[in-house]
Amino acid sequence: MRASWVLIGAVGLAALSPLRAVATAGAATHPIYQTGRHDAGTPNSDVVVRRHGRVVSYGDSAITYSAPPATLKALGYALYLENCATCHGTQANGVPVPGTSGAYPNLVGLGPATIDFWIESGRMPTADPRAVQALRRPPRLNPHQALAIAAWINSLDPSYPDIPNVHLHGGNVATGMALFALNCAACHTIEGDGDALAHSTFAPSLRNIPANQVAEAIRTGPGNMPRFTGNLSDYQVRDIVKYVTTEIQHPRNPGGFGLGGLGPVAEGFVALLLGVAFLALIAFWVGERQ
Amino acid sequence: MSGVTSTPRARRRAHGRYGRVSQVVTEIDERLGVARGGRTFLDKIFPDHWSFMLGEIVLYSFVVLLVTGVFLSLYYVPSSTVVTYHGSYLPLDGMPMSQAYASTVNLSFAVRAGLLMRQMHHWAADIFIGSMVVHMARVFFTGAFRKPRELNWTIGVTLLTLAIVNGFLGYSLPDDLVSGTGIRIAYSILLSIPVIGTYLAFWVFGGNFPGTVILERFFILHVLVVPLVMIGLVGAHLALLVRQKHTQFPGEGRREDNVVGSPMFPVFMAKTTGFLLIVAGVIALLGAFAQINPIWQFGPYEASRISYAVQPDWYMGFLDGALRIFPSWSFHSFGHTIPFEVTIPAVVLPGLLFGVAYAWPALERRVTKDNAIHHLLDRPSDRPRRTAAGAAVLALLAMLFVASSTDVIANFFHVSLNTVLLVMRVLVLISPFVAYPIAYRIAKEMHAWHGAGQRKTPNVVTRTDEGEYRAEPAPAFADDAEEPLAPTPVPDFIEEPPPPPPSRGTRAIDR
Repeated sequence: MRASWVLIGAVGLAALSPLRAVATAGAATHPIYQTGRHDAGTPNSDVVVRRHGRVVSYGDSAITYSAPPATLKALGYALYLENCATCHGTQANGVPVPGTSGAYPNLVGLGPATIDFWIESGRMPTADPRAVQALRRPPRLNPHQALAIAAWINSLDPSYPDIPNVHLHGGNVATGMALFALNCAACHTIEGDGDALAHSTFAPSLRNIPANQVAEAIRTGPGNMPRFTGNLSDYQVRDIVKYVTTEIQHPRNPGGFGLGGLGPVAEGFVALLLGVAFLALIAFWVGERQ
Repeated sequence: MSGVTSTPRARRRAHGRYGRVSQVVTEIDERLGVARGGRTFLDKIFPDHWSFMLGEIVLYSFVVLLVTGVFLSLYYVPSSTVVTYHGSYLPLDGMPMSQAYASTVNLSFAVRAGLLMRQMHHWAADIFIGSMVVHMARVFFTGAFRKPRELNWTIGVTLLTLAIVNGFLGYSLPDDLVSGTGIRIAYSILLSIPVIGTYLAFWVFGGNFPGTVILERFFILHVLVVPLVMIGLVGAHLALLVRQKHTQFPGEGRREDNVVGSPMFPVFMAKTTGFLLIVAGVIALLGAFAQINPIWQFGPYEASRISYAVQPDWYMGFLDGALRIFPSWSFHSFGHTIPFEVTIPAVVLPGLLFGVAYAWPALERRVTKDNAIHHLLDRPSDRPRRTAAGAAVLALLAMLFVASSTDVIANFFHVSLNTVLLVMRVLVLISPFVAYPIAYRIAKEMHAWHGAGQRKTPNVVTRTDEGEYRAEPAPAFADDAEEPLAPTPVPDFIEEPPPPPPSRGTRAIDR
């Protein structure tokens, strides 16, 4: 037992030290790193493809992150001015909200994955800028246009994470389930239905989310969600995405009709209305009614 | 080969009116003397009103619970020992889990009809307690608990308490993520009891949460101790019912000193056997087609894991709701903490509710000063104050039940969880005070209706030769007239033996 702990400690130290070196090095060149310590999803892996000195893609066998092509910059700027500039400002640095002391979010340095997630999930451009939490809708811009906007914003201050592409084959649903229970179920519920959080915020349902958006959300932490960068490796993220896109989105219900995954609330209604009330009706039918 | 005695008719004649059955019964009676008691039992009269069959739903779902429960106990392993799962459900493959959880997943997927049995058991439990509450409401609103049936009411309330406790114990046994959260809440509730809480919690759990013995203890309570007590109490409940005879609604020919209805055999027995099959059938259909408690989706319980949107089964909902909406008050002083936010909703509130339920017959006797024996039932509208009080308690319980799904409501209607919480606090507080006057008014109005509960007779309108119209009420229906029903004739074929002469020093009693 003791020996295994020592082993884990040694491995952990060995694993941490190069990461730390990369992180500090990165912090010097990219001041936009959200933290110095948490650097998963950034080009700290072995496979980094550069072109003209710029990182084009990086990652490992679980996830490949790729930067939006710089050639889309001009298109992106035009689309940005058309769809986003009203709130976020012409330089994407946010503008004050009229009548309040707040401001719309500054987008500079958020990384392409963030921009891509918000546009592709239909949350941006939003219908109601004052809403506590933007709702998921059919996207107004297509993936190519989203990529273009991400390319332009990223050109203002290149940052990470880039847009992930999850290679689901080889993912392990069992590990994914364990990690999901540990990291995600506390808000999204163990069945992935999502639920209300405090003050009109909510954890959205995961039933209809494409694999890449799940990975983007994990890596960028939209809204109230934490950014999972330090504690989840790319392989672990792949396992979670695999679990979400298979078991959560296509639950096998060997027990019959799944009752919407609402748990005991739905079960109670069925037991009382279909069970007790139906049987009482039968009693009414069999018995005497005076 | 005498052709005379071997014809069927001759054989029948030799065996008497009821054939060979009669012979068997006679043989038994000559040894055990069951004829007289059996005759009384078979002649027991059951009033036919449909609301008297609600209790039968309870009884028959209990039967289903016992049968399916025996099946489940053959495969369930009550052990917290951690094993690694290697079964047919891929997302759990290689995961460490308690043997209890592994065996429950295995009995769901690897045992033939295991999942059906587990789902039937769970649905039967939900229906069991649901029909219990409905049956209790019927007894309450019709005043069937009044003298001489207070003891049976007490037994019934005890049965409800035990059923809820056993439901919770059974829900906890699979040791999945959701039920583990429930056990954790139960531990905290035990802890919150002032002074003895910590000792009690450690005594029940054999140490700190989660410990290693709680599943074993819950198992033996769930499958042996509590069911045994319940079976005994159900027997006492039914024995008292037979002994004290059934109540009945007032109506033609029904008096305090008689019982009008169908005899046990053959009418009631046919009816109730059919009902048993219907109850079992509905539960089997639910078990086959409606998924309940998919524990494989929840994963094994681990103290570090938690899922949001976890509710208990519906019968624990009022407790969960009370816990959710109670403000965070607590008392810290003299080095002690009394967490009112747990103690009051989870200990004091259920204690009060069940205390009032136990005490209700005595309370009502004290208020009404009515110490007479009642075999005729009230209509709910006859007793507006009792009806209103029952409606108030039901409204409170319903609101607490709704409060146990604050998150579902907030998510479904896209309103703030905090708003829902506030609204539910207000609703819970005012619901009894709103329900009482409404129910009281309705009962009063219904009571005031002319001829309520009686058959309407038409007015006959006639036109005279002069062209005048006359409306006169038609005479009462012939079968509405009071007509004394003849009591069931007691058969006289049982010969009473003459009492033997008493001798010195011995006493003789009748067999």
